[in-house]
Amino acid sequence: MEAAVLARSLTKRYDVVEAVRGIDFAIPPHACFGFLGVNGAGKTTTMKMIYCRIARSSGELLVLGMDAAQHPKEIKSRIGVVVQETALDPELTVLENLTLYATFFGMRRSAAVAKARELLAFISLEGKDRSRIRDLSGGMKRRLMIARALVNDPELLILDEPTTGLDPQGRLLVWEKLEQLQARGKTLVLTTHYMEEAARLCQWIVVMDEGRIVTEGSPTALIDRHAARDVLELSGASAQAAAAMPLDGLVRRREEHGGTLYLYNEDNRALLRRLAEAGFEPEAHVARQATLEDVFLNLTGRELTE
Amino acid sequence: MSALLAFFAPNAWAVFRRNWLAWQKYAWSSVAINIVEPVAYFLALGFGLGAYLTLKGHGSLVQFIAPGLLGFTAMNTVTFDSCWGGFERLNFNGVYESMVTAPVQPEEIAAGEYLWEAFRATMYGTLFLGVIAAFGLVHSWWVLLCPAILAMTGIMFAIPSLWIALLVKTQEHLFYYFSFVVTPMTMIGGVFFPLDRLPRWLVDIAWFTPLFHAVRAFRQLVLGQMNWTIGADLLWMVVAIGILAILPVRTLRNRLAN
Repeated sequence: MEAAVLARSLTKRYDVVEAVRGIDFAIPPHACFGFLGVNGAGKTTTMKMIYCRIARSSGELLVLGMDAAQHPKEIKSRIGVVVQETALDPELTVLENLTLYATFFGMRRSAAVAKARELLAFISLEGKDRSRIRDLSGGMKRRLMIARALVNDPELLILDEPTTGLDPQGRLLVWEKLEQLQARGKTLVLTTHYMEEAARLCQWIVVMDEGRIVTEGSPTALIDRHAARDVLELSGASAQAAAAMPLDGLVRRREEHGGTLYLYNEDNRALLRRLAEAGFEPEAHVARQATLEDVFLNLTGRELTE
Repeated sequence: MSALLAFFAPNAWAVFRRNWLAWQKYAWSSVAINIVEPVAYFLALGFGLGAYLTLKGHGSLVQFIAPGLLGFTAMNTVTFDSCWGGFERLNFNGVYESMVTAPVQPEEIAAGEYLWEAFRATMYGTLFLGVIAAFGLVHSWWVLLCPAILAMTGIMFAIPSLWIALLVKTQEHLFYYFSFVVTPMTMIGGVFFPLDRLPRWLVDIAWFTPLFHAVRAFRQLVLGQMNWTIGADLLWMVVAIGILAILPVRTLRNRLAN
């Protein structure tokens, strides 16, 4: 099956910085594909190249089988884009934001109104058609951005940090809508720094750091490869005591950051039992499952890089 | 595609419609703002100052400034709208960005803005024309050509205004354009007084400004004193539009390329 997006040695150089440094990826159709990374990792630049906002510096980039440099207009007419900053027209009503955008795709006005009403129902904003943008909450604005990206029935939907800045309820609602869209067969490409979001929505994740892809795989494979099933976090005196103990065979990986010791292991209960047998009762500890957060931090470091 | 050919593109009219929908939200205040200013100048200078003087060889001051203020109205309404509107649509709220994310080309955006400013200049200019007609200062059926020339004037003033709006990085810089270009152009454009006693070099400079040609054309049409210069003025405007219309398109394309 042809990839929805295919990149080979894709590079973007600005005057002094190389934002994307030769990345390769293939996004299969009907998948949800996530780009994970800190700010400045090159995620947004990659998205902008896919949706033909900026030109690549070198490499290959095919979107829906078309070269992004040769066929921007055709590509734009078949994809939907939710940009990172809310970009809704404050001088228009909710309904006008949708109908006007639909006419940009050559839709007749009556068809545009019907489509807009259908989409407002989908994003649960039926009663808000005559509202102005300033009267919407952050979550409503983001859902409206998603609705606007759907006016042309795109095969491929690109979402640059779709839930950044939303409260938990707002985020959950966006996730539900994205899951429904995927169930309808759309290909989703999203960027996020929320591991939880990537783990829930994406079947495949690439982790970017400083313009490169540092690892990729399914969420569970990434956790298995770069963390472990469980994590035992110890702090204070317990951390110092445990650091001195030989725990080989049980602990796959130790990390220490800011006075907290992270023991990556396959079974927290077995590890705690071993510690108890050695006469050690940790005081302050957190026993939890490993998440993509651990993968991400192990790959890109816990220090703030900005 | 050039910006002028884009007048025929459906998306240029979609951009026009965006401005039309936005304008409807504050239509009455917009009409009031854009009519009160020229009417205030018209009454204060025409009847206030005009009570004390006549212009040698040009008749009453009020008759002289009436068509001058018609060009002034078209210039002001277009300049302010293009400058502030263009700057906001590029730099805040991502209005232009959203358009190019959809399949709208930068030349279609510029063409849509030109069409919108042609409409504004025609609308507000014709309203002001109604005011001076009510005062009995329109003397010829040639005046019926004014709306068409107002539309062309709107496009002509929209080009540099939109260009500046897209070039500057902060809104404060727009004031440079108002203070150093628009205001001096108004003073030597033949709006408030005849230019025949100005130094020759100043009149030569005026010839290179669009307002001079717009005002001279409107004055002939309103007074019905037609002569060959109106042909030169219209040709000047057509050539200027033809040459300069592409500038905002290029700037917009560059600004949206990052």
